[in-house]
Amino acid sequence: MPRMVRLIWILLALHLALGMIAYAHFLVTGRYVVLGWYFSTLGTLFFLVMTAIECCLALICRSWFDSDEPMRLAWGMIACAALARLGGVLLRAVSDGHLPWGYWHQFSQLPGGLFTNLSQMGLVVGGPLSMAFLAIGLGRVLGIQRKFHLLGSLTRADKALLVLVVAFSVSQLFIILPLLGSHPSLGTMLLWLSDPLLSLLLIEAILVRRSVIRMGQGLVAKCWGMFVLAIVVTSAGDAAIWASSHNLLSESITALSWYIWFVAAAAFASAPAYQLAAISLTRGTSTHLMGK
Amino acid sequence: MKMLGRWHPRSWRRRPVAAPGSEVNFEAATTSGLDDLQARLNHWSDLWTKGNESAIRSEAQKLVAERLAKWMEHCFGQHAQSSLRGKSSQISLASSTPIFTAFLGRRATRELSRRVLQDL
Repeated sequence: MPRMVRLIWILLALHLALGMIAYAHFLVTGRYVVLGWYFSTLGTLFFLVMTAIECCLALICRSWFDSDEPMRLAWGMIACAALARLGGVLLRAVSDGHLPWGYWHQFSQLPGGLFTNLSQMGLVVGGPLSMAFLAIGLGRVLGIQRKFHLLGSLTRADKALLVLVVAFSVSQLFIILPLLGSHPSLGTMLLWLSDPLLSLLLIEAILVRRSVIRMGQGLVAKCWGMFVLAIVVTSAGDAAIWASSHNLLSESITALSWYIWFVAAAAFASAPAYQLAAISLTRGTSTHLMGK
Repeated sequence: MKMLGRWHPRSWRRRPVAAPGSEVNFEAATTSGLDDLQARLNHWSDLWTKGNESAIRSEAQKLVAERLAKWMEHCFGQHAQSSLRGKSSQISLASSTPIFTAFLGRRATRELSRRVLQDL
């Protein structure tokens, strides 16, 4: 495992270990004080560190491709997605009044009525905007993989999952369309794009997963495998939010489901780390040993 | 100013000025010249493949293929080689360079090729 990837997952393990202490406190006392502090302070810091690492690594990966190479655009889009996610976390952190640095919440009411507050703007930037960038980047990668005949044929399970994803997106339309009459803000409407974009990312992830299975366990394959993992985990987190909002999950399970977002952040950060490890390997600057 | 001038539409239509002495017509190489070149190339080839020439060549090719297969496995995976087109033919620099360039970039592929051809 490349050094940077190991570092990311060690950070995640340490962070989750601390989170489990907070969760145990919540289970014993039934109070959200420690759990709330853990998610709002340590959780925000973890997201900031992970998205910053992802953004920096993606930019370095992009710099390794010349301007006429198709992967430069793909990595550029992935870097933009990471930057948007970083911006989203920053905006939400700044507007959160419960945080030590969150006194800015007094100024978080935005003029113009486009967004209700800074937090909503953060959700849009870190959500649909970031997903749109990632969808373009992964679309480009799929195009390159198709060129090299790396895209495998879909299995029945893949097709069933695709049908499920499309059906979910269509069902969301029936929920959203009647709400248009109530003149929602632009921010609210943009947030509605989250589910269709996540569905698109899932479709791309299913196709990328096929190519990864076809290739094996190489560094480049693992890079795209990490994107697949991140998207699947994000979808699971999204499904958990939906389930808890419909009272389908108990309070303790709902709190446990919040941890899933840290795994997604670590997976997103690991993807460019794997790509960079592959590039470093060719230059002989990697920790990997390569026989002649 | 000169840089901007390059983008002026008038300069697009301008035909390049012929260099002095450009009216000279190049004649086709004489048969004796080609024969001479061919003789030299054959001579170099003979020098290169002297003795057990085919064995040397195949050993080098085999080594390159082995190294490339290792790189392919490290970068893409153990099944990448077989999932690529032309799986029946042996892996070579020519056949593997496009996929390495696409996923690792031109500069990294150049480094990789240099490492593959090292000591050969």
